[in-house]
Amino acid sequence: MLSRQALDELFSVTYEELRRLASTVKRKDPSATFTPTALVHEAWLKLAKSPRFASTSPLHFKRIAARAMRQVLVEAARRRLSSKRGGDGGVTFAVVGDAAVETALGREELLALEDALQELERLEPRQALLVESRFYGGLDVAETAALLDVSEATVHREWKVARAWLNHRLREAR
Amino acid sequence: MDTARLKRIQALFLEACSVAETDRRAFLQGACGEDAELLATVQAMVAEDARGDSLLDSGVAEIAGDMLGARGESFASRQFGPYRLKKVLGEGGMGVVYLAEREDLGSLVAIKILRAAWLSPARRERFESEQRTLAQLNHPSIARLYDAGTLADGTPWFVMEYVEGVPITDYARQHQCPVEERLRLFRAVCEAVQYAHGHAIIHRDLKPSNILVKASGEIRLLDFGIAKQLESLDQAADQTKTELRMMTPAYAAPEQVRGKNVGIFTDVYALGVVLYELLARRAPFDLSNRTPGEAEKIIADQQPQRPSSVDTRVHATSWADLDVLCLTAMHKDPERRYRTVDALIRDVDHYMKGEPLEARPDTLRYRAGKFVRRNRRAVIASVLGAAAVLGMAAFFTVRLAIARNTAQATAARLGRVQQFMLSLFEGGDKSAAPAEGLRVTTIIDRGYQEARALKQEPEVQAELYRTLGGIYQKLGNLGQADALLSAALAERKSLFGPEHPEVAESLVALGLLRVDQARLDEAERLVREGLDKTRRARPRDDAAIAKATTALGKVIEARGSYDQAIPLLQEAVGLEERIAPASGELAAAVKELADAQFYAGHYDVCDTLNLRALSLHRQIFGERHPLVADDLINLGAVQFERAKYPDAERYYRQALEINQAWYGKDHPEVASTLSMLGRALVFEQRYDEAVSLVEQALAIQERVYGPMHPKVANVLNELGTVALQRERFDEAETRFRRMAEIYKSAYGEHHYLYALAYANLASVYLARKDYGRAEKMFREVVERYTEALSADHLYTGIGQIKLGRALAGEKHYADAETHLLEGYKILTKQTSPSASWLQSARKELVNVYEALNEPEKAAQFRQMVPAAQ
Repeated sequence: MLSRQALDELFSVTYEELRRLASTVKRKDPSATFTPTALVHEAWLKLAKSPRFASTSPLHFKRIAARAMRQVLVEAARRRLSSKRGGDGGVTFAVVGDAAVETALGREELLALEDALQELERLEPRQALLVESRFYGGLDVAETAALLDVSEATVHREWKVARAWLNHRLREAR
Repeated sequence: MDTARLKRIQALFLEACSVAETDRRAFLQGACGEDAELLATVQAMVAEDARGDSLLDSGVAEIAGDMLGARGESFASRQFGPYRLKKVLGEGGMGVVYLAEREDLGSLVAIKILRAAWLSPARRERFESEQRTLAQLNHPSIARLYDAGTLADGTPWFVMEYVEGVPITDYARQHQCPVEERLRLFRAVCEAVQYAHGHAIIHRDLKPSNILVKASGEIRLLDFGIAKQLESLDQAADQTKTELRMMTPAYAAPEQVRGKNVGIFTDVYALGVVLYELLARRAPFDLSNRTPGEAEKIIADQQPQRPSSVDTRVHATSWADLDVLCLTAMHKDPERRYRTVDALIRDVDHYMKGEPLEARPDTLRYRAGKFVRRNRRAVIASVLGAAAVLGMAAFFTVRLAIARNTAQATAARLGRVQQFMLSLFEGGDKSAAPAEGLRVTTIIDRGYQEARALKQEPEVQAELYRTLGGIYQKLGNLGQADALLSAALAERKSLFGPEHPEVAESLVALGLLRVDQARLDEAERLVREGLDKTRRARPRDDAAIAKATTALGKVIEARGSYDQAIPLLQEAVGLEERIAPASGELAAAVKELADAQFYAGHYDVCDTLNLRALSLHRQIFGERHPLVADDLINLGAVQFERAKYPDAERYYRQALEINQAWYGKDHPEVASTLSMLGRALVFEQRYDEAVSLVEQALAIQERVYGPMHPKVANVLNELGTVALQRERFDEAETRFRRMAEIYKSAYGEHHYLYALAYANLASVYLARKDYGRAEKMFREVVERYTEALSADHLYTGIGQIKLGRALAGEKHYADAETHLLEGYKILTKQTSPSASWLQSARKELVNVYEALNEPEKAAQFRQMVPAAQ
């Protein structure tokens, strides 16, 4: 049973570690296939040794990492896209990379998904958690069931429903 | 769109999916009726379900790769807020520095952007507030920090004064400065660093490229505090070393390469290296072409060559002294360096005036050692003299043994002076009966007299005061303890400066005394200050930090903030475990944590911790030691909360026996144990026995602590409770009123203990069947508990139940039900709910439901109440 503060700590640590790992991945081998699941796994290998995470199970960590990964990716997507708009005012340092068009679409989709996911969080928080864990954290059905304390059949059903709902929203937003 | 609507949509979707495709349309039209939007939505979802190519299906891997992949970022836009970027000034491993101009003001600034650093959203706020502290650094020799913040993705940036100048080493070479000039420049640098230290800011990354000299000869120090931001990231991931830090290994201190904590001494080291370079015209270590591992070893282990032997062309009046200056600052062991930059400056001044330095291989510490040995004999002689006068051959009593053990338990580090003190109490016959007139206090008082005479050795004196103060505190003489601990603190401050670890230790000790004195605001302030200073001045795993953390946990616990205290104490336990597997300090930390868990209502965890502490204490101190008694009491307390009163009584009796033997019958510790035993007896309904014990306790506490002390309130609580049980309502009321008064004056109206006293008072009215009054009071109780603790705290739950009971008494059954259920809910949510309260709540609910004529609900709760009731 962790306090709010302890949870925030864990999240911050995980977030920073994921970002750090993400940046080293790109430096090492630009052509390497990159999966969030692999990153989460690497982050766990490292952070599990820290006393801060002593009372955290791998499953619970994955859950935190899923949330952190979501944040990392959404921020990365926003950063890239903001360059086209030339800065948002305030102190935004605009960065332009060689933004290829086809990948820009992917980023826009991710941000649209983020909007839809936030809406879902408001309405059905448990479904949103499920999506976050599976999509961003790479948890499989068994793990998700354990995390949410439901049966695997429930996970399948809820995923089916959430997926249909979110995709519908995404299509509407286009 | 609200939850209900979404639920409907989703439910309909699932149904539609299970219907055969051919029948689907008809089914949906039937189910949706007029709601065209509903129909459209569900149909769309069904269509999505059939498709398998969405983002959610393919996973985020591909997109993620793109987004996090490097594409050679370069900046196209040249605008950064109100600044216009003009050119790149420099690039390092961490980030880029730009020259920029503030358009509206026309002033030049430097903007540093740390590309390789990321702050999580939670840390960004903290980062920005820390910048405000840094921006306060206002010294002519320090480059101003104007602004700082984070970009949307957490990348930190800084806007600083733009300094046109060259690194100090280059300047000295270009201008061919003689030694005196170099020292003058160096001294100016030290003054700037000292100024920052005075603001509790450590640079952590001092090196020539951060020390610029302008054409005018003025010094400017750059990048203050920036290294701190990076370090906080490293600490977050608990890395022992990082590429960020290894950026400039040549100037990194041994503790930095080892990943241990930094402090003032780290800056001192860096200054030493800078001085080395200024004098020897080269860096102390050649790290070119070394792997990071090799570089680390060199920095940590290799002794630098004396500056004097490097470049013999340079003239200096006394090279030996310059060597000492430099090498003392650069000592591998932080403890052996100059303690403060001020001390370094003083020696620079001494050198320039041709005076002898203060730093010498034979340091102050060794000198003090000799003095102590001299003094020890003197003090023992006087004590023995006193004994001789009183005709006692063996003047060591059980109480002296206590003093020895408590002194041991109190002090994490046995300073040479404490060793001297302890030696006073060595040996002796433990079973000898205490002699009249020769109590510990007499010995200690004599010790105090001796200490006061030690004006020539202020360090020794300060430590003696500290030790004596601690002993007085253990013996319950808080006034004397206060005087001594305060004197020790003042003395250490003036001897060592405010940042010294011994000052920090004194602050913590004084803070803990304040807890005993029920001055909690001060206690927290002092202990926090002590802990902060200790963290700055000590390596990360140091025992002093562990001890100070435990102390802070204890203070926060005393204030009733268990949620805060628990993680802090867990940290302390972790720290202690790393220092030693079975030590008195570890046991103390475990015990504090157990206490916090107890007050938070986590009884099972508390049990485990208490058993651990008990086993540790037995191992270290033996069976009959007050710390063992304490653990027994705690174990009893948990049994008590579980309504297992005979078990609690058993534990308490064991503890009482030990405490009475140790402390004598009149000690506050004994009073406390008597109270708890009395309480258990009350619940076993052995009232006369109970009252007699508890009244003894009251007398002791009043005498020792004064009539308005919280410990007296504790005892009044017991007596009030007994009186209540015996239906002596007036007596109960008097006791509880007094208890409330005491808590109010000690802790204020908003403290939960005041609410507790008030609740007990309300219980009297309840028992008198004055339900109207009781209802009013319990409503207030619930409010106060909610404010002081939380809406779902155990005590709030109990308050709700009592409120329910009062309402039931007034026959406002519906109202009663609401509050009883609320309270019951809270109770069941507790991780280890107290059986007695649960039973009580259920019984009340049974009554209420019977009165409301809802037999099924009544039956539901009646089933859970054991038949024996």
